[in-house]
Amino acid sequence: VLDLLIEQFVNGIVTGSVYALVAVGMTMTFGVLRAINFAHGEYYMLGTFAAWYVIDRFASSYPVSVLAGVVVVAVIAGVIGWAVMRRLIAAPFQAGVLATLGLSLILQNVIILVFGGGYKYFEGGYLEPLEIGPLLLAEQRILVVATTAVVFLGLELMVRHTRMGKAMRAVSQNIQCCQVVGIDVDKVVLATFVLGSALAAFSGVLTAPLNTTVYGGMGVMITFKTFAIIIMGGMGNVRGTLIAGWLLGIVESFVAGFVGLQFRDSVGFVALIVMLMWRPHGLFSTSARF
Amino acid sequence: MARLRAGRLAAVGSVVLGLAPALAPVPLAGPALAQGTDSVVKIGLVSPNTGANSRYGAFAQRGAQLAVKEINAAGGIDGKTLELRPADSQCAPAEGVSATRRLISEDKVSFIIGDICSSVTLAMEPVVEGEKVLLMNAASSNPEITYKAGVGGFKWTFRNYPTDELRAAIVLKYAAQKMKYLKFAVLSVDSDYGRGAINFTKKYLSRDGAEIVSEDYYKEGETDFRPVLAKIRHEGVQAILLYGLADTTPIIARQMLESGLAGKVALVGNGEFNAAATIKSAPKVFNGAVEAAAWLPAWDGAKSKAFVAAYKAAYDGEEPNNHAYTHWETVHLLAAAMRAAKSTKADEVRKHLATFTYDSAVGPVTFDDHDQARLPMILIEIEDGQPAIKGAETADIDYPKN
Repeated sequence: VLDLLIEQFVNGIVTGSVYALVAVGMTMTFGVLRAINFAHGEYYMLGTFAAWYVIDRFASSYPVSVLAGVVVVAVIAGVIGWAVMRRLIAAPFQAGVLATLGLSLILQNVIILVFGGGYKYFEGGYLEPLEIGPLLLAEQRILVVATTAVVFLGLELMVRHTRMGKAMRAVSQNIQCCQVVGIDVDKVVLATFVLGSALAAFSGVLTAPLNTTVYGGMGVMITFKTFAIIIMGGMGNVRGTLIAGWLLGIVESFVAGFVGLQFRDSVGFVALIVMLMWRPHGLFSTSARF
Repeated sequence: MARLRAGRLAAVGSVVLGLAPALAPVPLAGPALAQGTDSVVKIGLVSPNTGANSRYGAFAQRGAQLAVKEINAAGGIDGKTLELRPADSQCAPAEGVSATRRLISEDKVSFIIGDICSSVTLAMEPVVEGEKVLLMNAASSNPEITYKAGVGGFKWTFRNYPTDELRAAIVLKYAAQKMKYLKFAVLSVDSDYGRGAINFTKKYLSRDGAEIVSEDYYKEGETDFRPVLAKIRHEGVQAILLYGLADTTPIIARQMLESGLAGKVALVGNGEFNAAATIKSAPKVFNGAVEAAAWLPAWDGAKSKAFVAAYKAAYDGEEPNNHAYTHWETVHLLAAAMRAAKSTKADEVRKHLATFTYDSAVGPVTFDDHDQARLPMILIEIEDGQPAIKGAETADIDYPKN
């Protein structure tokens, strides 16, 4: 039984790492824009599609496909950020909901139009199982957890110590003051959005070998999982997002393993409702930031 | 101020929760249509063309389209040509119903083939009943569909496909008696098909001395099965009862391989275990797998082989699946019924179906008083990476008394 507990815990950490990587982009974008990005999961999907495409079409190696996924999405996010997201800076929150929801539908359906609605199989990644103590884990899962740790360490350092990171934090606190002291708010918002979308794409390519399938609607469920995480983590909080992601992953894994797989997706929604009712400012802060 | 901000968050939250269904991909509009003339017989085809089951829809469309081409090339039906009108159900009952309504009111079809997903077909039955349009199902296996048809109620629904009741019975019998699998865990899709198949399996458990120790159902699009597979490994079962979706089968198989279940726990049920591409995803997992299907490419017989050859020639060498076959066969069946009835009016064709016999690739087809075709289920065991046919069984359905 102890073996099983440990295994479910590890499964949860792997799943949670993916959630956290996707959610951190969303939470940072929310921090600077104060707008929920309903299209966030679509960047996860686009990144995976780009990686699948280069493997399928050019027989690229997996590392190249990771790079392709991230670069393609960074470019797309740059264009969308410049054309759409930038305009949401001072807009009411309804504008953000409508604009990003519209983007979500457009991106999904463009992919369905171009590549068809069917599932594609993702070939690539490192699926050899490794034996670690009592459990077997694909190398890819270890890669996911290790990469997540590195990315979060990097983000934490960036947010605390670099000029852009400090500017991001400043914009997330007070836009008017930033403008007064000469911070280019447009540039900060655009950079945050591109970084966040690229991270979503990165996590998509990272998990594609485990999820095996790639299709146009794959971003929707992950978007909904991230809502619960960013609220638990405290909107805009990088460290909180990682812990909240792991927490959701672990609880989901235990629910799937001990209660029933059919109840797994309810965990995130229940967490979302409970958090909004009792701690809308997140698990880790004592007062609301927004 | 803090209060105000919390209110804003709550507003965002409620928008998030409220919009969940709206974010699913929207169906694409069909091709622009010319108004029908008397020389064209339009057949609507409702199938999941986007989403988790779109693979099935693609096969169904290609199979049906091939049959339409063959029929038109051979002169059509008394000089009239057939025309296929596809519509997307996304495997969601609400979408399927609106697709059906669009086909009836805008495309003016009098015949509809559809859907693949049982949940959608169940929702379509009352719609065609009200509109007096003939629904010929070619791929839904939930028994309820024809429990409620013919003398059971709906007069305009027919099914040219065997049911899960038969499937569950023969799969369990073979798994228990021949393979000696007696202890099962359930991992099936959370739908009328997946849950229905397990309910019928339960009916026969005591007959075969088998037991089910745990039940899990996955959502369409689920990709992480590790927690459930870990649990199953600790239960010490001999086989997993998997009535699932073909697209998900390779994901489960790969994660079984990764979790160390390959060669220890077998797969039993249905989900295109016999397809070459599926077996390739994790050959070790599929050895000893047991499946029952309405048809498979390896089925012997001149008509079946000719279909496989024609399909491969038409679609770049792609191997047809079960749904491609049943939709191809069902279009031919409808055409034959129209010829026999000497009419392309839905009502006359419908009346004719009661006494009609059609020679299909798996044997002669007749419809019973519930408008259910008497068809065999084919039993398959995967041996050394190859599907081996272990028999075919037809059974009269034991309809529940209303």
